[in-house]
Amino acid sequence: MDASSHAPGHAPEGGHGHLQLAYHPALPLTNGKLIVWLFLSTEIMFFAGLIGTYIVLRFGASAWPRPHEVHLSEPIGAFNTFVLICSSVSIVLALEAARADKTKPAKLWMIVTLLLGSVFLGVKLYEYNAKFSHGIYPQLPHSQVHEKADLFFASAVRLRLATLKTELEALEPKAPEEPAAPVYDDDPAKAAAQKKEYEAELAAFPAKQERYKTQHDAYEKKDLPRLTLVNDLTTRELKEETTGATAPSFDERHAALLRLADEIAPLPVGVHHAEGLNDEHPWLKLPMRIPGGNMWASTYFLLTGFHAIHVLVGLIVFLIMMPMRLGAAAAGFIENVGLYWHFVDLVWIFLFPLLYLF
Amino acid sequence: MTDHSHPSTGHGDSHGPDSHGHGLPAHGAQGADGHDHGGLAKYIYVFIALCVLTGCSFFTYSSLWPFHETPQIGWTFMMIVSCTKALLVILFFMHVKYEANWKYVLTIPAGFMSIFLVCALVPDVGMRNRWASQEALSYMATPEDNAQGSAQDKEQEVEGKKHH
Repeated sequence: MDASSHAPGHAPEGGHGHLQLAYHPALPLTNGKLIVWLFLSTEIMFFAGLIGTYIVLRFGASAWPRPHEVHLSEPIGAFNTFVLICSSVSIVLALEAARADKTKPAKLWMIVTLLLGSVFLGVKLYEYNAKFSHGIYPQLPHSQVHEKADLFFASAVRLRLATLKTELEALEPKAPEEPAAPVYDDDPAKAAAQKKEYEAELAAFPAKQERYKTQHDAYEKKDLPRLTLVNDLTTRELKEETTGATAPSFDERHAALLRLADEIAPLPVGVHHAEGLNDEHPWLKLPMRIPGGNMWASTYFLLTGFHAIHVLVGLIVFLIMMPMRLGAAAAGFIENVGLYWHFVDLVWIFLFPLLYLF
Repeated sequence: MTDHSHPSTGHGDSHGPDSHGHGLPAHGAQGADGHDHGGLAKYIYVFIALCVLTGCSFFTYSSLWPFHETPQIGWTFMMIVSCTKALLVILFFMHVKYEANWKYVLTIPAGFMSIFLVCALVPDVGMRNRWASQEALSYMATPEDNAQGSAQDKEQEVEGKKHH
């Protein structure tokens, strides 16, 4: 600003009559801040589209899984919310420190923000792992989620049981055969060699037996019970079909299938998570019946995935800020980065109740 | 500059040239951007309010919440709590409370758009199950599928099929 002008547009006192024009910005904010707000408005549109669609999909669905059916933990979500709120506070404190030209506290608060953001991502990864390990993926071929206990579910269960049976049977160690006495050749040199070979095999045989014994013990401990369970389930499933004088009716078979589905992944009553076969034996990984589960998985992974990407971008920006001097000159930059980070927090504030508590 | 309008009662004598010095501690040194640097306490209050509100929305999950039978009450409560938290973050952490009138240009259309978008999706997406084809109905889960257990649902299943 020109030091001699008192008010914009007026000639200075005692001046020569030249019009001294002072710069008047169109908006009372810096270009950088304006651009960040314009970017945030596009992000608002982006997330409003996704969240709005989620709301409509969820409330228009005829069936929607409860959080415990899909291994969603509300306390973890609440913890994540708390972590992001703390990171919002820390970035505001960094900004205030930078404005007062206190570079050390500013850098410290930025590091705290970076750490809290990383904690959020770490917890998110843990949550995703909980879904994946239970066979809940956003799409095929990994997803084990079926909408209802229908023919596709039944055939998927049978296929999985058959695959398990083949795999487990292949693991059984074969008992070593006793070396058979060779039919000696007419040629004495060859006969001597045969005899030598036979004696060597005889000598090595006890060691082989020992090895087989330990392998078989391990197999009996671990894999045989699994095979027994798989065989039980297979025969029980088949048995449901053939009991009764006549072939069981459609409703009877359907009821049996529903019972099996409930045993694999029970739909818990109330708030508590009920343990099914898939929980007791994580290696089983049988297809599950979770009504509305596929739509749930799609929307959950999409919303939280996009949000996590935004968090990651924020963390990258924080890392870029690490070598900077966070003094009064950098306050504008920190403010703009802070605006983005607060927006990320804002989205999570809406996502948490919508995904976890509704 | 912001004008401190002192009440006419009780501040009898010291209305001098530095009446600014009389302000409450929070109205201390004014920065170049027009709001105070002594306002760190304000951020802490907002943080505490956010934590309390997060606890409130998490409270609907606990067994002490008295309205488990009507989930709509819980949803409304949670949306109110979320909007309050969002307002606190926007107004204070993003400083929008202290910004000039451009903030209305930003927020009002965004608010309109969000609400209008949800409403616009309801007829086609929200009501997709009302006029679904027979093929779609045979694949999708129904509310009967959502009930727990199986043997007791067998009858409901049969009933449900009659309604479809």
